[in-house]
Amino acid sequence: MESPSISDRLLSRRRLLQLSGLSGLGLVLGGCGTSLYSDQVNSVFEPLNQSVEELLLNPQKLIPNLPLSAIEPEALLINSFQGTPKIDPQSYLLSVNGDVERSFTLNLAELQSMPSTSMVIRHVCVEGWAAVVQWGGVPLRDLIALAKPKPGAKYVYFKSADGYYESWDLVSSMHPQTLMVYQKNGQPLSPENGAPLRLASPIKLGYKQSKWVTEITLTKQLYPMTGYWEDKGYEWFAGL
Amino acid sequence: MTSSPAPAKRSKAPPIPHQTILAKVFHWVNIISLLLMITSGLQIYNANPVFGGRGGWQFPTPFLLGGWLAGGRHWHFAAMWFFALNLLWYGLYILISRRWQRRFASASDLKALQTGRNPKRKAYAWHRLLYTAVIPILLLAVLTGLGMYKPAQFHWIVDLFGSWQALRVVHFISVPTVLLFSLVHSLMALRVGGLRLINSIFW
Repeated sequence: MESPSISDRLLSRRRLLQLSGLSGLGLVLGGCGTSLYSDQVNSVFEPLNQSVEELLLNPQKLIPNLPLSAIEPEALLINSFQGTPKIDPQSYLLSVNGDVERSFTLNLAELQSMPSTSMVIRHVCVEGWAAVVQWGGVPLRDLIALAKPKPGAKYVYFKSADGYYESWDLVSSMHPQTLMVYQKNGQPLSPENGAPLRLASPIKLGYKQSKWVTEITLTKQLYPMTGYWEDKGYEWFAGL
Repeated sequence: MTSSPAPAKRSKAPPIPHQTILAKVFHWVNIISLLLMITSGLQIYNANPVFGGRGGWQFPTPFLLGGWLAGGRHWHFAAMWFFALNLLWYGLYILISRRWQRRFASASDLKALQTGRNPKRKAYAWHRLLYTAVIPILLLAVLTGLGMYKPAQFHWIVDLFGSWQALRVVHFISVPTVLLFSLVHSLMALRVGGLRLINSIFW
């Protein structure tokens, strides 16, 4: 039997190259006006970027406080995904649970009686704006220490009263300037800024800093839903 | 100039401009990565315009890459590696190979501009001066970008520029600067060495 000649093949090499070139061009043009492969680009480069961010993060290093005179009360814009939820501070409870030895709940008075920390830091939004803000509240690591994480707990989930949800790496959560705050610019925190209790930290982008936090859950793994904006396509680590 | 005689016919053809393969690679990667950085950067700009904030004027869609803020960021923080590392290896290359002394603006170029009489030599000096001057501008774009990308870990960069807004403005200014440079650089290259010179850096 004779072997088939090149021209008998279904696709010659030249034809295949022509076709792949054409379909490649179609892919490129078809991407115009859409997100143009940003998801694919992200899946390749975000792991690299995240490992650099983890490397840069020194869990003990304090970000220098800015002077009180640097506070920009007008610059802190209000962002939320569906308005401000109504919360009664009298009946508010924060629940800390998950992969911990001791789950507990605290009311606002109990939270405010814990040793508090104040910081003046730059709050940086993913949109590009930033505002110098003074925040006052309880270091998250004190709450986590009270709950005694089980070995293997590596992530912290935050649930908010409005349905917003977030997750952080434990290292960033244990940073001394990652606070659960009830005070802003010398005043009690206002409802639109996250009262009665919100996350605040200089080392993460604004969308990581959940407002109206009602539940803190330690986990050993990251679940498919990592955060409201992350699930729409934003970076998860979002370290500053 | 007005009464000077027509230049004498050249006795020999000018030498064909020679570019090393590494210079061509740098030039290509620089152009492509800058194009990605600028278009994705303008996409990020639109989320909160540097001038005017929310409600400020936004760049039209044909100049944008990424489709929305997250997509623009994904492209920006991928292309940054190519842009910055390209500058890094090229910087090492011109230092080690001493191209820094031969292929970039030097004292003799400044002298030609100040006291020289030969207009061709002067144009050449301007050309070299221009592409030398863009390098610190590109490095400044990396520095200001790093300051905005990691403002907590590199808080000293933000401090260096005084305020967040100043940092944003300086980072953004690199866009019109690079675009203007590209135009003038192309025209200067055309004037100094014609299409032969332009072709030599690409192919």
